[in-house]
Amino acid sequence: MNGHYTVWANPGAVAGGAVTQTMASLPATFGPAPEERAGSADVVVIAGGFGWTAEATAATGSGARGIVVANPVPEDTSELAAAAGAAGTAVVLDLRWASNPALVGEAADPDARDAVRSALGTASLLDSVATAAPGSDPQRILGEHLAALLAVCGPFDGVARLNGNAAGYTVGGRLGNGAPFTAQGVLTAARPAGVDIRLYTADGGVAVQVPDPDAAWPAEVRVTGAHGELLLPTLYESAHRYAWRRLKEHLHAGTRPDDLAGFARLTDLYATLAAP
Amino acid sequence: MSHHAAPADRLLGVGILGAGPVTQAIHLPALARLQDILEVRHIMDVDPAVASSVAARVGATSSTGMDTLLGDPAVDIVAICSPHQFHADQVIAACRAGKKAVLCEKPFAMSGEEAARISAVSAETGVPIIVGAMHTFDPGWLAAEENWGDLPEQVHTIRSSIVLPPNARFEDFATEIITRPTAAQPDYSDIEVIKTALQGGVMGLAIHDLPLVRRFTPDFEQVELLHVFHVRPFGYTISLRTPSRTIELRAVMNSTWKPEWSFEAIADDTALHIDFTPSYVQAGSAVAAFSRGSGTERRSSVPTATTATRASGANWLNWPGEPGQFPPRRR
Repeated sequence: MNGHYTVWANPGAVAGGAVTQTMASLPATFGPAPEERAGSADVVVIAGGFGWTAEATAATGSGARGIVVANPVPEDTSELAAAAGAAGTAVVLDLRWASNPALVGEAADPDARDAVRSALGTASLLDSVATAAPGSDPQRILGEHLAALLAVCGPFDGVARLNGNAAGYTVGGRLGNGAPFTAQGVLTAARPAGVDIRLYTADGGVAVQVPDPDAAWPAEVRVTGAHGELLLPTLYESAHRYAWRRLKEHLHAGTRPDDLAGFARLTDLYATLAAP
Repeated sequence: MSHHAAPADRLLGVGILGAGPVTQAIHLPALARLQDILEVRHIMDVDPAVASSVAARVGATSSTGMDTLLGDPAVDIVAICSPHQFHADQVIAACRAGKKAVLCEKPFAMSGEEAARISAVSAETGVPIIVGAMHTFDPGWLAAEENWGDLPEQVHTIRSSIVLPPNARFEDFATEIITRPTAAQPDYSDIEVIKTALQGGVMGLAIHDLPLVRRFTPDFEQVELLHVFHVRPFGYTISLRTPSRTIELRAVMNSTWKPEWSFEAIADDTALHIDFTPSYVQAGSAVAAFSRGSGTERRSSVPTATTATRASGANWLNWPGEPGQFPPRRR
């Protein structure tokens, strides 16, 4: 292997995962697999609709070295994790908002997760609003929303659905220190799709705005406290590209990401909310 | 120094019931900007030292009883700035005393029964009553109202979000406060303490935006309370719904230096976002922005306007941003 990987994407993933343009931004690493070798591509891209874990599990058996799942819905990933572990396959989840590099960046970079988690001890409220286009499935938006919150904040307690209809939802629960958290989804075309996360603390807090991954719009992370307000470094890299760049690094290093372990927490939380 | 534009005998005299921090930090500075039409002539407070000290600041008479103020013929207009539980009876007494008008600080009443009693007396006596719900008089809100078209019928989601430092922060930038109520450290292990705190949050803070919420909720009478969280040290999250609306209210009072007070009314293709300035300091009016799938426009008033006192002409600003993008926040 010379560090260049062939890619095959199923049709649903091409559009949903912005595969063509994202691959084009990493041209030295990824390129489309020739038609006749589609079944033996190095990297397989799967659309994250219902049943994606079974499809990904099958891909590990076909010898794929890497799998990208575009915007996966919450599903039990235990069988896939086991298969990927046995096959040595790197599975990267390209999550609509949670994969934004401003939320969880590379080791040395300041990111929203560090900012939020260092403030959770004095949290008085976490309030988050996700915005998506009318006609979106609120249930799917909820999964994408919770994925972003889990990435930044860690686990929640006592999460319950407080409201829900065709125009959105509200869920609520508690942070580790007992402070309340609320997450609202709103379907509208009147403002850009994205997630707004506000953590309020004793003397300020953290404000995170995450855009959709359609372009390299930067997320914004602001930490407010007695010192004033700190704007964390702005990265013009979309969630799609950051997911693919992580895959590149894992393939080059021969390591495997922990995306599936993190996603299992989302699946568990989502199941809690779906229970009658 | 005098700014009077009218002869003294044509000024209307104001008497204020209650001379606490709100009177000192909000009403007296606001009235100072209306010296061409109003003159503060009588200050009443149960604490005689507070009454006399605050009255001396504006050259007014002081007293410690409501009846004395209502019996003062120099008082044409009564401002009710007392604790919430006294509002209804004092408004009614002012109407029956034959005053020309009454301004009642929010909340107007603590129950529907109180509100009905006030309404009946106002109708009987013909005395007009203005409620000091400041956001409903904010030029930014009024400019939005002039331009929202059929948005109130289209909205499906309404949000009010308030982040403020303790009141004392802004009181001290608005005036020099004398005497401030002291509060003991609350015992939040007692559910009754939490209930009281939440009632205070609704009647003292959420009440500012509830009239705005109502303007966008035609089926408000069918409102259903879904969930409430108490936020420490002071605040709330309140989830409400009606058959046609989702209503979410948030408030946090902490030690932040950065206040944020926003109101949003959101429909499928259009949304109204209003950023209000904090109470107490005269920091100009709100800025309202309409955003649509096809772009964003801002509506605001002149930035020196006093939020709750004078609705100046709107100054229209067009935001030349990209479709779907918000204008920069004015912070």
